[in-house]
Amino acid sequence: MLQLIGKRLAQLVPTLFFVSVLIFSLQHLLPGDPALVMAGEERDPVVIEQIRKQYGLDQPVPVQYVMWIGNVFTGDLGESMRLKVPVSELIVQKLPVTLQLAVMAMIVALVLGVAAGVLSAVKKDSAWDYVINVVGLAGISTPNFWLGIMLILLFAVNLGWLPASGYVSPFEDLQRSLATTIMPAFVLGTAIAGVIMRHTRSAMLQALASDYVRTARAKGLSERVVVWKHAMRNALTPVITLGALEFGTLLSGAVLTEQIFSIPGFGKLIVDAVFNRDYAVVQGVVLVTATTYILLNLLADLGYILANPRLRT
Amino acid sequence: MSEAPILSVEDLAVTFSGPDGRRTRAVDGVSFSVSPGRTLGIVGESGCGKSVTSLSVMGLLPKVGTAISGRILFEGRDLLRESERSLRDLRGDRLAMIFQEPMTSLNPSYTIGDQIVEAIVRHRAIGRREAAQRAVEMLERVRIPEPAARFHDYPHKLSGGMRQRVMIAMALACEPRLLIADEPTTALDVTIQAQILELMRALREETGTAIVLITHDLGVVAEVCDEVAVMYAGQVVERAPVEELFRFPQHPYTVGLMGSLPRFDRPRTRLAAIEGAVPDMSRPPEGCRFAARCPFRIPRCETMPELAPVGPDRSARCWRAPLEELAA
Repeated sequence: MLQLIGKRLAQLVPTLFFVSVLIFSLQHLLPGDPALVMAGEERDPVVIEQIRKQYGLDQPVPVQYVMWIGNVFTGDLGESMRLKVPVSELIVQKLPVTLQLAVMAMIVALVLGVAAGVLSAVKKDSAWDYVINVVGLAGISTPNFWLGIMLILLFAVNLGWLPASGYVSPFEDLQRSLATTIMPAFVLGTAIAGVIMRHTRSAMLQALASDYVRTARAKGLSERVVVWKHAMRNALTPVITLGALEFGTLLSGAVLTEQIFSIPGFGKLIVDAVFNRDYAVVQGVVLVTATTYILLNLLADLGYILANPRLRT
Repeated sequence: MSEAPILSVEDLAVTFSGPDGRRTRAVDGVSFSVSPGRTLGIVGESGCGKSVTSLSVMGLLPKVGTAISGRILFEGRDLLRESERSLRDLRGDRLAMIFQEPMTSLNPSYTIGDQIVEAIVRHRAIGRREAAQRAVEMLERVRIPEPAARFHDYPHKLSGGMRQRVMIAMALACEPRLLIADEPTTALDVTIQAQILELMRALREETGTAIVLITHDLGVVAEVCDEVAVMYAGQVVERAPVEELFRFPQHPYTVGLMGSLPRFDRPRTRLAAIEGAVPDMSRPPEGCRFAARCPFRIPRCETMPELAPVGPDRSARCWRAPLEELAA
């Protein structure tokens, strides 16, 4: 088992290298000259040249990469050209917001998705099954921005129960923090819940038709134990994979949803950075999210090992 | 049959309705019984309703789209009238079952020890530690080497034969009065088959458990059964003590089955296959179901024969039984 984990960790090195090169070069393929953007109204070639020099933009691309990656290892992701703050500081500021939103959305998605998936598998072909599938499909196909606007209309404008937008840190005021994030978390969570429901349902159907479930029933175990212990444990694998992937996507920021609810998270940060050709910020944010994504995949693999004893030997 | 039967199935009929509205009569008027300490073999080819019969005794058929009629008397109680709850209390306790596929019948995610303990704790008011001791004891009784170590193994570490032993240990952990074994050796190598059959026979001697052994293999029947019920197209076509069945089969289908067994005591000829195919059970023929394939067919076979006595302790569903006179 340790060997397996070691192998997976070793695989991370080339993957991360490739990702970093990709991020760095994509950046340079984007149209637009950042030095020009920074110079703004200033069109003096001397100033522009100076800006180029200051940010290393006059160096050959490979040199720029080495400079950049060297700094990354020391935790220096460069400085935002627009905001004049270190990128790492921006990330440290925004990451907890996105993390909180992602965790809450994932809780919504897993609770709703797994429960609905199991229920529809157990009650296959019944009214329950049909209703859950229709609602699930609706959840998948409803655009986030529409659902978000509808929720704001209902809970913020009409009922006045929740604030329409804004964000409060949970360390400041937990209750208000939850009030500001519950709607966006719900919007993000329901979309994922539909997908998780579909996968849970099919994995559960397969498990429930298996011979070991018949054995469990032949032992006189109650349906509750048969479903939640014997079938669930084996149906977990696809749910783990999907959960990890969706969580990774959530962490890269929910651009539209953050915009609608004015949540100052990764999504907003990256959009602003792209529009302003703020190279360093885009690179930093993408690097952090890509790394997180890869690490989550690793965690999903470790999850398999825990769920599946055949991998454990 | 000396003692009162522990299980007696009377006129069991099972009909499945598919989502397309097609109704299939998988089992039709099946009757048999088995006494404590005895082994009844149910023989027949795939699709003849053997497994459906055994699953209906266990109460494990899907509820949706299944209609069951008749009586299944176990220790005097009609299982078809019992609530799901009291059936669950019986299953794994007084009534146990092992299956054809040892490779997939154990849950891959739990240790074999866990799975046996689970069955014991479900039916006995004892703690996990005591149940674990009992489980190791059971593993030892089914001749699994180093039972205490194997207790912590996951199923994938065991061979098919070992897994079937675990299944038997699990089934017998609560000392059931009746064990249903559905093709327990079919998926195993021949040498392992013999070991498992021997084990089942020894355990029956020790515990007095009655066994219903479902198989398509007449060799297995000859080896371990006391009585036999032969099934064809959802019906029992012949019932007899095992020696008599092999000496004088009284239904043409049984004769045909035996003709398809290789023999060493006769000159080598081509094995006789039964011509034709099993009838479509969504539209079964009105008369004798074997008539279309039967070499002894007469006009009367257009009407369905009853399962009628053809001698002491035996009966056959054939207008022409007893068949001895025909052979002459």
